[in-house]
Amino acid sequence: MSGFKKERIEHYETLLREIWIASAKYLGMVSVNLLLERVVWEVSLEYKEIELLQYDQNGISCTRIAASLEENPDLPVEDMFMKFITRYVAILAKLLGHERAEEIKTKLKEEATGISFSTREEG
Amino acid sequence: MDKLITGIKNFDSILGGGIPVYSLNIVSGAPGSGKTIFVQNIIFNSARSGLKSLYLTTISESQFKMVRHLQGFEFFSDDLLGDKVIYGDLGLVLRKQGTDKALEYLTEMIKKHLPNIVVIDSFKAIRDLFPDEKTFKAFVFDLAAALSIWEITVFLVGEYEEQELTLLSEFAIADGIFHLYGQEEKRFQKRFIRILKMRGTSFEQGEHLFQISPVGIEVYPRMRPEGKELRYDVKQGRKGFGIPDLDEMLSDGLLEGTITLISGGTGAGKTILALKFLLEGAEKGEKGIFLSFEEPAAQLLNTARHLGWELDKYLAQGLVDIEFISPVELDVDKHAFEILDMIRRKKVERFVIDSISSFENSVSDIQKYKDYLWALGHQLKRRHINTIFTAVNDDPFSPLIVSKTQISLIIDNVIILRYVEDNSHIKKVLGIMKTRGSDHNKDLREYEITPNGISILGKLDRADMLR
Repeated sequence: MSGFKKERIEHYETLLREIWIASAKYLGMVSVNLLLERVVWEVSLEYKEIELLQYDQNGISCTRIAASLEENPDLPVEDMFMKFITRYVAILAKLLGHERAEEIKTKLKEEATGISFSTREEG
Repeated sequence: MDKLITGIKNFDSILGGGIPVYSLNIVSGAPGSGKTIFVQNIIFNSARSGLKSLYLTTISESQFKMVRHLQGFEFFSDDLLGDKVIYGDLGLVLRKQGTDKALEYLTEMIKKHLPNIVVIDSFKAIRDLFPDEKTFKAFVFDLAAALSIWEITVFLVGEYEEQELTLLSEFAIADGIFHLYGQEEKRFQKRFIRILKMRGTSFEQGEHLFQISPVGIEVYPRMRPEGKELRYDVKQGRKGFGIPDLDEMLSDGLLEGTITLISGGTGAGKTILALKFLLEGAEKGEKGIFLSFEEPAAQLLNTARHLGWELDKYLAQGLVDIEFISPVELDVDKHAFEILDMIRRKKVERFVIDSISSFENSVSDIQKYKDYLWALGHQLKRRHINTIFTAVNDDPFSPLIVSKTQISLIIDNVIILRYVEDNSHIKKVLGIMKTRGSDHNKDLREYEITPNGISILGKLDRADMLR
């Protein structure tokens, strides 16, 4: 596995943890995990590897995804995570309203600022 | 907040535009109260707007029967089935695979169809499949959480009695509760809907009449005067009858935007006087509606022709409309709303109800009648519409009774028509009892109705003619 990809996965893991904490404040842990389950399912239609994302009431982990790079070094990590985060925030925006989602978005690092709020109906 | 537009007649306006999207709603009511039709009407209307619905039956209603019954409604369309309206059987899963599999099945169905609306009918019926209330409660909360993340508006339909609405666990998770029920009145079986709860939007409280017609559900919002409705400008313009002596008695006509009661015994000329008021308006280009519970349009036309009035001409020009509603068919809850709707649409300036006694007789609850009249009166005033209510006085020789119920609070002007005896003759006299905010002539004047119209004669000069 290239060092660069490993770094990127660590970076996205941090980002996802921030999203998880920020959204748990509004939705509660149960709903956040249900939402993660939904987004995992949606993204898995394109990237099966996202099913390796681990999450429970204690948090979120990308360890198994990182490990899978050993067998699948060409996995487009950037695209997979960006699609995941985009969908997550877009659904959140619909469920909580754009104002709350914007608050969550501003807490995220620079990488998340380009996230659009496309939704199931619009998309 | 985005709203799901139900498309049900007058219902979205009660909800301030529709049901908040992604809300979880309970539709409750006794069997036969119209719950299923109500929800089906919403999903078929939504389907026409491109939204997809997943309708899951459980164990109280067979899909086959439901679809067969729905075919009689205009909102139903075969073309939408399978594409925008998808039926599923949650009951089968619950019975065959157990309650644990229900959420799994639901999630799979959602993933497969990605619906905008999910209906479970009947939700109450599945309670019995759970071993105890605690397990069911856990299922309810899991269900609510699972559905909440799919951008879905949910309807849980159930045969709940009103007293259950605050007790059962499913109501704790509801964002909205619609309760449907019926009650018998004198001549009608009435159906009502009440919104008991609706998070995320303001709504019109109280019971709203609805009917199930071939179109589907049609709601008639409850009329009620609100604080804001009570504020209206008083205009100083005058509107006359076109009967010079009467207009003079009224100091040049009735004040604009006021409500006038013409009370009198049978045959005294209340209808004719009210009709003349509309015709005078039409002569000036003002639109008027004559809402008759007494005489059909043809009969009014005959009367007008006999008096040499050009009612036909004004009807043809659209300046006067006659709406006849048989008192036998009069459903105050429905018609009170329709009256206002008609006035709004037609931009009416003069309006007559002949007679409010028919209104009164058709309502079993007299307080309800007063509330309607009060609400109607204030809305008419707010729109600056000159209104005449006629009322039948059961004792044609007594001027003291204006109407059975005390409606004087909303009445600005009162004109009394009565009979007097004079030397073995019956004469008609007219008097103005009250004109709010204006002076008026206090004389009692004789009048007659002849083929030349209404003529106001001299002052009654002998008090002994009054009993």
